[in-house]
Amino acid sequence: MTTQFDSIYHGLSPHLGKFRIAASGMAWMNNETKEVVATPVAEIKWAQWMRVARNFRLRVGLKEGRRREDFDGFLRDDQEKLASLLKQHFGVILEVKDVSFKGWNWGATDFQGQDLAFLVSNKTSFELPLQNVANSNIAGKTEVSLEFNTSASPSKSSKHAGDEMVEIRFFVPGTHTKDSGSDAGSKDGEKDGE
Amino acid sequence: GTGAKEGKGWKRFQSYKGEAGLPREVENLRVFVDRKAQTVILPVHGFAVPIHITAIKNASKNDEGDFTFLRINFQTPGQLAGKKEDTPFEDPDATFIRSVTYRSTDGHRFDNVYKQITELKKEVTKREQQKKEMAD
Repeated sequence: MTTQFDSIYHGLSPHLGKFRIAASGMAWMNNETKEVVATPVAEIKWAQWMRVARNFRLRVGLKEGRRREDFDGFLRDDQEKLASLLKQHFGVILEVKDVSFKGWNWGATDFQGQDLAFLVSNKTSFELPLQNVANSNIAGKTEVSLEFNTSASPSKSSKHAGDEMVEIRFFVPGTHTKDSGSDAGSKDGEKDGE
Repeated sequence: GTGAKEGKGWKRFQSYKGEAGLPREVENLRVFVDRKAQTVILPVHGFAVPIHITAIKNASKNDEGDFTFLRINFQTPGQLAGKKEDTPFEDPDATFIRSVTYRSTDGHRFDNVYKQITELKKEVTKREQQKKEMAD
């Protein structure tokens, strides 16, 4: 028996498609190009559920080379159905990944596989795929900047295109040697010398 | 625990209690200003990342060829060298996002977003100022 979910995105692609799940595995088909992304049951290792911009994401971990696939656009109500299908067909538990919506710009960074995750109160705020980092810089010991690959031409400037993040800067005071004894006076006017 | 380190005078703020608070517009994967929640929502590789206006310092915008760049700067410790910090922080030793820069070919929309952020910041700052004066 096959169960179908309509209006699902694959990764960050702007194209909608249909997502199907059956005992043999999962498949996503692009509505426009009819391109198919198929994942056979033997490849499926784990599954996660998290809130992203385009509603909810099903993330599937694959055996091959620690790869994974993201499918966005699921609705809150799909969680239970999906969880039981994954359990029934693949014997996989749909784990819930907590996401922060506090609106804070401080937290902790954590390397998770191929991503640099930013956590706020121990919940994921976002992930930066490291293979998309084109350049990184460290300035003044406490500032780290990451620049991302962007398309060179504005050709794909369709009306539906999302905004491209080109750079993010972090302030990382923890990399600086801390003087736990006397903090009065040492905070202002920090010198560069060690 | 960071409780002991919690900066004096830091006032708790929060954009949303949970995911259900996010506005529909985040689906577009574009920078969105949610005035009601006093929050700017950033699209970051598929995630919708709210940042409360209190944590935002300012925004700037510039045009380069076909693109418009929007940069948003955030409040972080260590930015006022030699000056007394007037913004308290919950956890000054945490890692902070200091800035993000976005690119778009839709300069008109970025112009609007820039104005919305700047106005919201002005509004909230003014209100805080008034509250302070009332308290004095």
